[in-house]
Amino acid sequence: MNNFSSTLFVEILKMRRSKVPYFTALGFCIAPLAGGLFMIILKDPEAAKTMGLISAKAQLMVGVADWPTYFNFMAQAAAAGGMVLFSIVTIWVFGREFSDHTVKELLALPTPRETIVAAKFVVIALWSFAATLLVFGISLAVGKALSLPGWSADLLRESSIGILGAALLTIPLMSFVALLASSGRGYMSAFGWTILTLVTAQFAAILGWGDWFPWAIPALFSGAAGPRSEQLGMHSYIILTVASLIGFVITFWWWRDADQTR
Amino acid sequence: MPTYAIETNQLTKRFGDVTAVNSVDLRVGVGEIYGFLGLNGAGKTTTIRALLGMVRPSEGNVKTLGQAVGPHGRGPWARVGHLVERPSAYPELSVRDNLDAARRLHGIQNPNVVDEVIERLILASYADRKAGTLSSGNLQRLGLARALLHNPELLILDEPANGLDPAGVIEIRELLRSLAQEKGVTVFMSSHILTEVDRLATRIGIIHKGRLIEELEAEALEKMRAKRLEIRTRNLEGAQISLQSAGYKPFAEGESIFLEEAHAIEHPDKIAQMLVNAGAPPTHLSVYQQDLEEHFMQLTKEAQ
Repeated sequence: MNNFSSTLFVEILKMRRSKVPYFTALGFCIAPLAGGLFMIILKDPEAAKTMGLISAKAQLMVGVADWPTYFNFMAQAAAAGGMVLFSIVTIWVFGREFSDHTVKELLALPTPRETIVAAKFVVIALWSFAATLLVFGISLAVGKALSLPGWSADLLRESSIGILGAALLTIPLMSFVALLASSGRGYMSAFGWTILTLVTAQFAAILGWGDWFPWAIPALFSGAAGPRSEQLGMHSYIILTVASLIGFVITFWWWRDADQTR
Repeated sequence: MPTYAIETNQLTKRFGDVTAVNSVDLRVGVGEIYGFLGLNGAGKTTTIRALLGMVRPSEGNVKTLGQAVGPHGRGPWARVGHLVERPSAYPELSVRDNLDAARRLHGIQNPNVVDEVIERLILASYADRKAGTLSSGNLQRLGLARALLHNPELLILDEPANGLDPAGVIEIRELLRSLAQEKGVTVFMSSHILTEVDRLATRIGIIHKGRLIEELEAEALEKMRAKRLEIRTRNLEGAQISLQSAGYKPFAEGESIFLEEAHAIEHPDKIAQMLVNAGAPPTHLSVYQQDLEEHFMQLTKEAQ
């Protein structure tokens, strides 16, 4: 445990001193602000007309300015944005060791390599969930400031479960991003993987197979596409868990046993 | 206590069709300073990575400090310090933070070791600078500081003098020498600066195309080096006649005459006296000794 806490301290130190996590959190914060902007446009149709295309698109996308619409927009943003931003952090946490050639300083240490990998995953999970909480908090403040109608305790509970749950389901899928950032020895392969999974998840959802495709499951869980009980079944959670575990196992194996020539 | 700090048996590493290291048997005794020489691509860094468990041997095995390296990257790493290829550090962390991170990963409780090693490697004035802003010489010092942080029994260093200025090279040489002589630390170092290896190593191994083609003690190298007395004079012919009549076998190359007889090399003053008496006073007299570089080049050329 002492080994692990020391390693976790080092990973948190590296995260704290880097600008990447702050920039990604800042990027994530754009979602509630953009949602708020749409709500302002929708609340005042006259002003919306003078804004031309932007207001037309806002009406097309979200309909009316109320809490259910706003939360629905946030759920979509959290599901798609979460996948991208959590991936960026994961790619940075793992890939930077290869880009900065620091990985060789982590391989011949009394601290086992598995401990280092575990600490990296914990840091990614903590940061990702903290960023989601921050974004959710900001979205509540923005909605409150706009005095949106349609608030209810049930809606808050459902939306919290949808947005925070989608984040919790997205985080384990980062195991594959970590694997690609490690075995690809840098950033590019993992970026490619993230784009591939985003696009394939869209296709899977359109074809009606989203509940069987791990990377589509968080978005379906968020509630953005309808009630999650209609979208997902137990098999969805099992598939996501198994897929994530496979990613973790191969990542740990790779760090422990693969030849390290960087 | 193990007999050898490093022991490899038939160490072989292949990457696809390329054999980077081929049946290398290394034995590095405790307290030795072992110089590991080779041209670019000879297999030095792959050997070092295998010693540190970073690559798995295709055949053979590795022991450091008496303990088998691997599987799964296991080894006596709390007692081994290393510097592999060019030094690296987290650019957004200061020198002190980089070393403190290494301290924590080594499980060292005492935070003072960081300041001690900063003093030792003369990094105090850069301690709070971000590593990303360091010169290559100071980055090298940071890499060496990290290797020495936990007072290792074995140091495995890839090109330790890289990027250092001449004063830094001397300083690191003296540091490594004192660690070996006073604390019994074993140093395994690769270098392309042959004079460095020549001055520091107690034993030298030469690797070429993945094979260890020669190992020799520093004393043996000293003995096997060809020595010659070089003489220059304005009367080359007179000098040669005089030397021949005294029983020497001089040979001329360009503007100089050379003698290989031990007596001549040990008593250049007597040769000078003889040449003055013969009317061919020397304008230049020096003992020339083949250095490691020439020996290395000769050996690798023969192995082509």
